[in-house]
Amino acid sequence: MDQRPGDFEQYWQQTLDALAGYPACPEIDVLPLRSTDFATLYGVRLTSLGPYRLFGYLSLPTGPGPFPAIYYVPKYQSVLEIIPQGTANLQRSRYITFALAGRGQRNADTPYAAMFPGLLTDDIDQAASYIFRGIVADSVRGLQFLLTRRELDPRRVLVVGNDMALITAALQPGATHVVTAPTLFYNTAELAPRTQAYPLEEVNDYLRAFPDRVEAVRRTLAYYDLRAFAPRLSATTLLMAGAPGTLLDAPALGPLVTALRGQVTVYASEQSNYKDGLYVEQWMAAQCGITDVHNILPEHWR
Amino acid sequence: MPKAVAVDYQSMVKKPADFDAFWDGVLQQAAAVPLEPEMTPDPLRTSEDVEVFQVFYTSLEHVRIAAWYCRPTRRAERIPAVLLLPGYQADPPIPKEWALKGYGALSVAPRGKLRSNRQFNPGYPNLLTYNIMDRHTYTYRGFYVDSWRGIDFLLARPEVDPTRLGVTGSSQGGGLTITTAAMRSEIRAAAAGAPYLCGFMDAMALTHTYPYEEINDFLRAHPDRRRAVEETVAYFDGINFADKITCPIIVNIGLQDNVCPPETGYALFNRIRATDKQLYTYDGHGHDAGRYKHNAIVDRFFAQHLLSER
Repeated sequence: MDQRPGDFEQYWQQTLDALAGYPACPEIDVLPLRSTDFATLYGVRLTSLGPYRLFGYLSLPTGPGPFPAIYYVPKYQSVLEIIPQGTANLQRSRYITFALAGRGQRNADTPYAAMFPGLLTDDIDQAASYIFRGIVADSVRGLQFLLTRRELDPRRVLVVGNDMALITAALQPGATHVVTAPTLFYNTAELAPRTQAYPLEEVNDYLRAFPDRVEAVRRTLAYYDLRAFAPRLSATTLLMAGAPGTLLDAPALGPLVTALRGQVTVYASEQSNYKDGLYVEQWMAAQCGITDVHNILPEHWR
Repeated sequence: MPKAVAVDYQSMVKKPADFDAFWDGVLQQAAAVPLEPEMTPDPLRTSEDVEVFQVFYTSLEHVRIAAWYCRPTRRAERIPAVLLLPGYQADPPIPKEWALKGYGALSVAPRGKLRSNRQFNPGYPNLLTYNIMDRHTYTYRGFYVDSWRGIDFLLARPEVDPTRLGVTGSSQGGGLTITTAAMRSEIRAAAAGAPYLCGFMDAMALTHTYPYEEINDFLRAHPDRRRAVEETVAYFDGINFADKITCPIIVNIGLQDNVCPPETGYALFNRIRATDKQLYTYDGHGHDAGRYKHNAIVDRFFAQHLLSER
């Protein structure tokens, strides 16, 4: 496995300290076009490390609250969604949702416009300036912002997404639940050579072009490996594993499960958006005490 | 268990009387725009087995369109080629895996997508409803032509056998596969997954998920514009292109698709004119449309129609 760097805590503490040096300065504007009778949508601008101005979509349910909240961390794609494609819009009637574009994504692509593929290896041989150091800070800033909302029930705060969900919840207290699908930063140096599929193929491309940087890349990736963050995470976690036999299946993720401090449920993908998605929706609802999840599912899942 | 899907679902879409005239006019405009293809090797993405190129070409309104082109390093003098079309919010992938199977592969980023958004960038969400009141300026007028012109790029490649061209994609890529197969007679085989942009007005009633929800948002804000919206999208509805498809085609849908309702997949399939057509339905699957199982079927389908020389 990638060795946990000796200065792992220092690296991230410096990142968080630097982030703390920039006030978020939130700017919140209602977006009437995407608002309904059951939820109001806002565009949110926030400052992160750099300084860098980010953008997110905040949806608040109609009513007095407090409400459970879902924080959709920055995805590995250029597009920022209000809620993930295929999610029933009615999810916004029961949860506060906040989706953030990290630096480089649409709506947060000035001055830095990320390429996909390309983002994963941007400065990957320099741990200090690796692009994901900033993106992790962005994601933490998003959670910090969400936690300031008075409509939020602090006992029901879900952080949902890829690796960034686990990393964010490990670095920033306040998440009660995590749904994470490891994609980018689990044993990457070892697993990338075993696939030709993007995004990990980006690492292969990079090392084919710059073979002399292999150790530097390995050093950087070690700061981001989920196993290094796991002991810091106490939130109840749903770990979305790949289907049996795939690169990131449940057995492969075993060391991560062992390292996590909180209660963990491992779900092995059934290679079906419907089955996998339904499981997540039901899990989140159960954790949040929502007993009629049926009513906020997509029509074809009811 | 979710309720059963009506296999005989009747779409509400009506084909405008001047549908063909509209698209003839668009194609005439497009024909006046030179392709100006530009193909630059990408050494970072190139491997021992696959050559990767960054591609640009010009489309309607002189918008420069980006794409990735991959071809096998070791190849015959002439190879078959596949046009790959992207999902609504997906970043077009580098199609190395197609080159590894022996195809030239062009993965297009139609206008508004990353790398093709310098001159046209309505954003997401918004692309689906941008200028939806006017068929002459609606997003998908140019977006469709951008996709179709990918075929012109492939035809200009000396290593591509012009008699062995295919097209495929899923979701929006599935919808674009339908329109491309309909409008480009050079296509010899098409595989469309979970086709989007088919039954626009049906879908926004059958489901309330993005991206179709963009139209619901628009009409909630502007209820008086419903008729105009219906009129516009009828010119772009894949179901209205389906009777032009004559090449062999396969379509796969998930019966629990929460993005592109399966009802619209049935309605589309029933309108496809080709006699060599096959619908694969995947119960227990959503917008993935059974991709995990279906990929092997797609591989066999294209191998049968494109890999063997004629």
